[in-house]
Amino acid sequence: MEKEHKVLIANRGEIAVRIIQACHKLGLSFVAVYTAEDAHSGHVALAKELGDSKSLYRISSYHDANELLSIADAANATAIHPGYGFFAEDFRFARRVTERDRPLIFIGPSWRVIRELGDKINTKRLARSLDIPTVPGSDKPIYDEAEAEKVARSLFEFQVHQGVEKPLVLVKASAGGGGMGIEEVYDIDLFRSVYRRIRNYAMRQFKDDGVLIEQRIKNFNHLEVQVLCDRAGKNPVHFGTRNCSIQSTGLQKRVEIAPGFDPSSITYPFDAQKVMDDITEYSITLARKVNYDSVGTWEWIVTKDGHPFLMEVNTRIQVENGVSAAISRIKGKADVDLIAEQIRCGLGDPLGYTQSDITFDGIGIEYRIIAEDTEQNFTPWVGNIDNFSWNHTPWLNMHTHLPQITKENPYTIPTEFDPNLALGIIWGTDLENVKERGKEFLNALSITGYNGQSSTLKSNIPFLLKNTDRILRF
Amino acid sequence: MELAKNLQQLTERLNYIRDIFGGKHQDDINLLSSRLEEFRHNIETQANINFDEGLTTLEDLFFFMEAKLENKLTPMDNVRIVRHPQRICLRDILENVYDNYTEIGGQDEHTNDPAVLIARAYITRKRGKKSYNQSVMVIGHEKGHGEEFRNGGSAKPWGNAKALHYMHVAEIEGIPIHSYIFTPGGDPVEDYPGAGQQIAKNIYKMAGLSVPVVALFSEGGSGGAEALSLADKRLMLSHGYYSVISPEGAAAIEGRLKRGERASAELIENCAANLKLTAKDNLSFGYIDQVLQEPTLGARPYHFDFFRTIRQEIIRATDEIVLNTKGFSLFRINQLRRLRDTETNLDDTYINWHLPKSLRSDLVENRQNKFLRMSKGSFINRQSMLGALSDAWTEQWREVYNRLVYDFFHRYRRTYTNFLEEATAEWETIKTRAKKPFKSAYNKVRRIDTTAQQELTSLSKWDRADERGGWNWVSTRAKEDKSVTCPNAKTHGCLDLWTPDLYNEFAGVCTTCGHHFSMEYQWLMYNCFDVNSLYEFNSEWEAGNPLDFPTLDQRIKDAQEKTGLKSGCITFEARIDNIKNVVAVLVAPFRGGSVGAAEGAKLISAIDRARRKRYPLIIYSHGTAGIRIQEGTHGVIQMPRVTIAIRRYIRAGGLYLVVYDTHSFGGPVASFLGCAHYQFAIRSSNLGFAGPTVIKNTTGIDVAPDHHNCYKALSRGHIHGVWDRRDIRMNVKQALLTMGGRNLYYR
Repeated sequence: MEKEHKVLIANRGEIAVRIIQACHKLGLSFVAVYTAEDAHSGHVALAKELGDSKSLYRISSYHDANELLSIADAANATAIHPGYGFFAEDFRFARRVTERDRPLIFIGPSWRVIRELGDKINTKRLARSLDIPTVPGSDKPIYDEAEAEKVARSLFEFQVHQGVEKPLVLVKASAGGGGMGIEEVYDIDLFRSVYRRIRNYAMRQFKDDGVLIEQRIKNFNHLEVQVLCDRAGKNPVHFGTRNCSIQSTGLQKRVEIAPGFDPSSITYPFDAQKVMDDITEYSITLARKVNYDSVGTWEWIVTKDGHPFLMEVNTRIQVENGVSAAISRIKGKADVDLIAEQIRCGLGDPLGYTQSDITFDGIGIEYRIIAEDTEQNFTPWVGNIDNFSWNHTPWLNMHTHLPQITKENPYTIPTEFDPNLALGIIWGTDLENVKERGKEFLNALSITGYNGQSSTLKSNIPFLLKNTDRILRF
Repeated sequence: MELAKNLQQLTERLNYIRDIFGGKHQDDINLLSSRLEEFRHNIETQANINFDEGLTTLEDLFFFMEAKLENKLTPMDNVRIVRHPQRICLRDILENVYDNYTEIGGQDEHTNDPAVLIARAYITRKRGKKSYNQSVMVIGHEKGHGEEFRNGGSAKPWGNAKALHYMHVAEIEGIPIHSYIFTPGGDPVEDYPGAGQQIAKNIYKMAGLSVPVVALFSEGGSGGAEALSLADKRLMLSHGYYSVISPEGAAAIEGRLKRGERASAELIENCAANLKLTAKDNLSFGYIDQVLQEPTLGARPYHFDFFRTIRQEIIRATDEIVLNTKGFSLFRINQLRRLRDTETNLDDTYINWHLPKSLRSDLVENRQNKFLRMSKGSFINRQSMLGALSDAWTEQWREVYNRLVYDFFHRYRRTYTNFLEEATAEWETIKTRAKKPFKSAYNKVRRIDTTAQQELTSLSKWDRADERGGWNWVSTRAKEDKSVTCPNAKTHGCLDLWTPDLYNEFAGVCTTCGHHFSMEYQWLMYNCFDVNSLYEFNSEWEAGNPLDFPTLDQRIKDAQEKTGLKSGCITFEARIDNIKNVVAVLVAPFRGGSVGAAEGAKLISAIDRARRKRYPLIIYSHGTAGIRIQEGTHGVIQMPRVTIAIRRYIRAGGLYLVVYDTHSFGGPVASFLGCAHYQFAIRSSNLGFAGPTVIKNTTGIDVAPDHHNCYKALSRGHIHGVWDRRDIRMNVKQALLTMGGRNLYYR
């Protein structure tokens, strides 16, 4: 890095803590922000500890771009790290940051890349142009009823041909998102009525009656490929795969394991190693094609019979970056920090190593520890935490934004944000070993609390324990 | 007793003179006053003397002075005469001009709008020994003699609606309409229905009314007057005025006064003179057909001779309309000669006012043509001789083409295609029925289509040309690094917007609350229509200064430099997905988008073009402040003129679409825009008859901030939908496909 940089951290909680630590490690100064609800958060305490007088600002909302940018100007920041969530995948924010009168570096992909890969249809078409497998179905909005029916009919036939027992077709509004305007069809005779319903809904809601028709895949594993690239965008590298199939009912990830499959201890009905090699290869191909220039995650689904399909690309650092880092070694050295790498490359440094310098060792599990009632549809528990402790061991890496908690000084979970409390990352030599360590960690983990209704704290630890046994399986 | 009465009369005459001159000619008035006092003193102190001689002298003095002052009347004095409570009103006319009348639709204050009076009346005429009662519908404003409830003759929207209703009745019964204009202007407060909307409906109706209409102007104030005055024959009282705006209103605009401030008397006087609002001026412009000479210093209810004049002229006007429509035969030449002879007592002649059905369309056409011929020379046409010649040439060709294509080819094509369609449909049913057994057998043995499956996993062809990717035209404001606060931020919690996002990608729409910031007129021009499909015509027609209004020339020049346009209206042809349209844009930055003679002429030319070519017609009001007041009656006459052209277009089976944006007020909304059957507003726009400041200045009422909001207009039934700016192209296309008459070229 040729010039002195100062990074504005436009985020909160765990990721803010991680970014502050990374900046500290890289010798960069930083600016952290917090809102009134987060005044007692760990990232505020850490910013006070590591920063100077211009390193911490209170803001009214993490969503207000104007406020963040005026703080960046006031604190003389030269770069902005969006973390995950909030502005991380907002290409307009990225464009504004880099194109304003006093431009800043957006630590993340360039806004054109974010826009290009933020559009699912566009991603799918890009993938298909490179012969990367995608979910069978249409790759453009269909406006014509006869054409839609033709696609649906051949999709049913296709699935029958593939040996799918109960073929299903998904009809979704191409302009929709977040689960709005999606319906399943199990019978071609019902297709037309569903199609019309979705089309009318899309016309009303999104003013565009385009419809996508895809195969509905059930019983799949959710794999991800962690990609990193410097600003040159020429030589992307990957940090292996992750398996994120254990999710809450709301399809929120709870346990992530790296690597994505473990063929050495589990037998799969397909060549698992080849699938993992394929998807990393495909991901790197696409990253090279779009000149990807930051960290990113390629999300894949792998069917029970071993067909991978590219789903989407997340153009940001993800929560589960630590688990990939845990199993990776750069030039034989452990202690990989992807956030630090992202900041370093984002500010213009070249990568400094190639894919052959990255090796993998052992298996990692990441648990997301959340105060929630897993029996009651994963409803978040709200209240005060008065004890949060765990056994410190060399194979455990705990990331949390919770401050020092004592009985006298409890921590109130803010209700405005997502309810993540901590990420526990466990490393083991092989699958059995890591499962054992995982259970050991979870059993020793103690978290208690109370709230106004004097109900005791509910956490997802039992859920995590129960699911540790079935990791990496279908 | 007689003496006291005479004295009282003289005192009243003196007070009247005082009132109408507003503090001027004090010497003359003082002279009259002192002589009157002296005379009164004499009567009171000296008994038993014959004062007849003194009285006659005094009366002579009064007559002399009145005649002297009559010559010194300024336009503003005329305005004061017209507004004086002693001015004759419609009830006086009904009492004295007609032989019998019944007020309908109300009685005094017991009516929905006391400012509009409707009466059925008749005029008795004799021919030989036989007498005839000729029925007419009398419609007019009633100012009364200062009664509060008459609202000064300002018609409420429902008053105009009442008038419209009885126009319809007159049409059914086939009797002429005599319309009397005694209004300072329409009541500007929007209500149910909206003020502008109702006036527009009235003008639209009158443009096609199939009975003779005679209008008599005493006080013709802008839109309120137009609502009743689109007549075959327009008479005017010599001391009346007919203007686009009251002199006070003009002064408020000219002096750039804020709410509640009052203009100086001198400025008002100047404005009255500059507006050229007198009967004489309007007669010379051709907007009035005849002036009725009033008694000295204006007609008052005791001028019984003058009512006789009105009666004679009203009869003459109606007779003339009927005779002109019927055409000239041998008998009628004689009748007409009698008619033109001012010595003849028209009560002793008789002409049947009933028009046979076959002649009614002629009547309407005559009226329309009369208005369309008006105000021809009041703008600047810089078109070259060659250009004009080629235009005329293409117009001729267009006529021939229309005859050939629409009147001949299309008629027979329709018959032919109808037959073909039926035959094909029949054939299809037979075919499917015959193929049915084979098809089900084929389906059973059919193998899987591998190419179809290939398509499911490989890249398909997609022509993204029709996809909306960015805007064709982007405002220069999108280049500034600035953030803008949404006006709804306090209530909706909108975050500030960055201008490069707001004015480019967001199309000026707040992403939180959907508030539409105003955009330049080019935005819609270039983003709604196909790229490179715009063809402008009549761009050489230039806004002029027909009244030689001081400083207007400079201001027009400034506006032309600022916008690069010649007038406040752009007319062009453009395509949407290959459907050709004629479009007219009222441009807000050009003198507030006001409509004057040039704009009116351009609009009429565009409307005619759309009618001849059978294209849909879209008028986009990017913003209009109303009629350009500095053009006076030349401006206000555009209201009926353009509406007539619109009526012709709609009647010819076209599609007339109006789109409002930003702020649209005044005459255009109350006429050719408001009469459209398909009117839409872009969200966050305001529209109505008069803006909040005008309402405050004229009525003293403070209206709510959302009084003119497009959603309010929608609930009033003025407009028929509110559109999102980002969807404008889709919505216009949808309108082209689903709305409009039978005669569009693409149908």
